Amino acid sequence: MAGFPPPIFTPQVDVKTKIGEKVDYSNLPCPLIYEELHREAYMSLKPELFEGFRFDYNKMVNEKFFVTHSVLMGPTEVPTQHSEVIKIPTASYDFGAIFVDPKLMLLGRVTTDGRLNARGKCDLTENFSIKGTAQLTNEEHMSQGQLTFDYKGSDYRTQLQVGNGSIYGANYIQHVTPHLSLGGEVFWIGQNRKSGVGYTARYETDKMCHQVASGQVSSNGLAVMNYVQKVTEKLSLATDFIYNYISKDVTASVGYDRMFKQSRLRGKIDSNGVVAAYLEEQLSAGLRLLLSAEVDHVKKDYKFGFGVNVS
Amino acid sequence: MAAKRIGAGKSGGGEPNILAKISNSEIVSQGRRTVGDAVGVSKKLLWSTGKAAWIAGTTFLILAVPLIIEMDREVQLNELELQQASLLGAPPSPVQMQRG
Repeated sequence: MAGFPPPIFTPQVDVKTKIGEKVDYSNLPCPLIYEELHREAYMSLKPELFEGFRFDYNKMVNEKFFVTHSVLMGPTEVPTQHSEVIKIPTASYDFGAIFVDPKLMLLGRVTTDGRLNARGKCDLTENFSIKGTAQLTNEEHMSQGQLTFDYKGSDYRTQLQVGNGSIYGANYIQHVTPHLSLGGEVFWIGQNRKSGVGYTARYETDKMCHQVASGQVSSNGLAVMNYVQKVTEKLSLATDFIYNYISKDVTASVGYDRMFKQSRLRGKIDSNGVVAAYLEEQLSAGLRLLLSAEVDHVKKDYKFGFGVNVS
Repeated sequence: MAAKRIGAGKSGGGEPNILAKISNSEIVSQGRRTVGDAVGVSKKLLWSTGKAAWIAGTTFLILAVPLIIEMDREVQLNELELQQASLLGAPPSPVQMQRG
């Protein structure tokens, strides 16, 4: 499902002391993997590519309350058993509402497929916050919910996650030197009786994040390493290496992110033979044009999309 | 030493035409095979060059062409702004005063 509108609220990085520049560390053991540690790399390497036509309208009702309407018309992929992917044209309309307060953030989104996506974040005190997410669907047993408790210390952060279907996770990250931070996580999935451990490290040269190198290893077989460098203040290059030591799958990718005065262009090329580009252009005040292209030379799959974002 | 006998069987002298024909046909068949191989290899080379050119072309189109277009637009925008700044900074132009 298409992602949420770009985050205009609460950035996830806080600066406390000279030592304690922290980065939030979240790893959800569900199909959506969300890594804040690798945020700079994924900004260049994982743009929100889409296929078809997309129209988003964000309306500010109040300074705290936003309403979004979005329409997406295009083929969506339906995986079949023969490991072939079939594309079925679908059209959907989403309605979303966002409430932002310094201490409370609520987000809800409902689609014509009958799915409801809700998220809430509450800062109980300056150091402690609670986050909850829920995805409700029409189908049985496909609804998920998760609660996260965050505690922020002077140079460390720790998090505890509880999800339905008895999914438990905990993670901890600490700034070891002014540039290096290390962390680890454990999770346990009750349904499959699976448990796992993971370790992660992040090294950055200075606060402006001119160079960031980060890596992650986890016991479900994934080892990820990436490196981002801000070559000039408008151009940054990123590279990524993913190795699955259980299935012996290797992927490397290189991407660039170039900011212009009125637009932003991101491109990436992959070792799987995938070339992708994503352009956001500000046509006039409040009107943005989005163009997305993804060409897979190996599977001969071509996806192009265009969209308009009105705010 | 015994004279070399080209070909098998037929003793020399008797029928040189047929011997010649055989040797000719051996060489000719070899030559035909070589030419066939060369044509095959060059077809494959052309085909893979074509594929490589297609992949390189479409990749360039997707990665580099938007970048070039945007950079050109940026340069044009900067020039326009420079022009506007110099225009607005100067006193009202004599052309307009004449028209007015």
